Amino acid sequence: MVQRLARLGKLLIGLWLAGVAIAMFLVVPQYEGLGNAGRIVIMHVPTAWVAVVAFTVSAIFSARYLWRRRPQDDDYALAAAESGFLFTTLATVTGMIFSQVVWGVYWNWDPRQTSIFVLLLIYAALFALRAAIDEPQRRRQLSAVYSLFAFVTMPFLVFVAPRIADSTLHPNCAFIQGSQCDGLTLEVGKIGLLGDRKVQLLALERNGDVVTAQVKVSEPGLTAERVLSPSFDLVHEEMVARPEFPGLRYQLGLEAVDLEANSALLNIEAPGTGLLENRRTLFTFLAAIIGFTALFFWMLSVRATLLGVQWALAQRAGGRL
Amino acid sequence: MSVALEAGVAIYVAMAVALAVWIGIFVYLWRLDAQASALKRELEREQSEDPVERAPAPRATVTRVRPASSEPGEG
Repeated sequence: MVQRLARLGKLLIGLWLAGVAIAMFLVVPQYEGLGNAGRIVIMHVPTAWVAVVAFTVSAIFSARYLWRRRPQDDDYALAAAESGFLFTTLATVTGMIFSQVVWGVYWNWDPRQTSIFVLLLIYAALFALRAAIDEPQRRRQLSAVYSLFAFVTMPFLVFVAPRIADSTLHPNCAFIQGSQCDGLTLEVGKIGLLGDRKVQLLALERNGDVVTAQVKVSEPGLTAERVLSPSFDLVHEEMVARPEFPGLRYQLGLEAVDLEANSALLNIEAPGTGLLENRRTLFTFLAAIIGFTALFFWMLSVRATLLGVQWALAQRAGGRL
Repeated sequence: MSVALEAGVAIYVAMAVALAVWIGIFVYLWRLDAQASALKRELEREQSEDPVERAPAPRATVTRVRPASSEPGEG
């Protein structure tokens, strides 16, 4: 009975994720400013989420191993860490594809890219450590301790580091509901940094209810400069013109104006802002998170079973030698 | 330009590729799961049938390091 239910569950995962793949292309509407390329977010965010779950599960089983010294707990800890590494790699690769579409390069050492790279290195070191120790008990013990330390760095590298960095182009503002980028308040004549672009507010011109800012935007490395003119409606308190950064699909938004102080709040507006307000996108997104999480637990069970079988066979071969 | 890359068709091609990749992964995982479970069951069955495996008795090997004739008291 349990086996039948398990088989049914696995079949359901297969159908569920096939449905997500279809919905990703045919149900989710195109994203404003990104067209079809933005659909990759339906893959990117859930894989990153599952990586976080996997590393947490790995840490829990590592702690259980240190407490009870059962080899099965070590198998699950290793299987979860391997799955976490795989899903982090998937999140990185899908992020790189997105980066190529939006920024024009696969990799530009953005704080988010750098922190995820460090996380991959930390978990790669766990596998190197395991491979370097022959004595099984010592290997399990050391890797359980290391795994707990690695887990402590994970929330910092995934959630904190990219958000404390001022200059990131990772579209938190666009894709995470409720989150916001603070932007940059500049007085006329002052210089600041938005993402990796230097911006200088040259002037604020009022024409009726609409204020237009003249903003000089520099390319990274100050290779080229261009003046953009975002505008703001004082009566309705909303942005009017949102010109695109040169060579990017991100827009420069004028989010607030203080004419007395002669200053303005400038921000990067990512394409797809308000994405999850669309029901079809939101439900596909949630379905993808559920599907990938279920897939992780299935992978965890298969890999842990394989590790258990491998250990039992090695023990049997050793006993008969 | 290839027909597969035309605006109206490309999205279906991309979807078909994504589905094909997922079906491949799913079939691989399903087979791996079945094989791992079968191996585990086989090992458990062997263990329960083998009386030695079920209750392993301590084993020891005695090795004589000197010939019997050279033992003290004999020479």
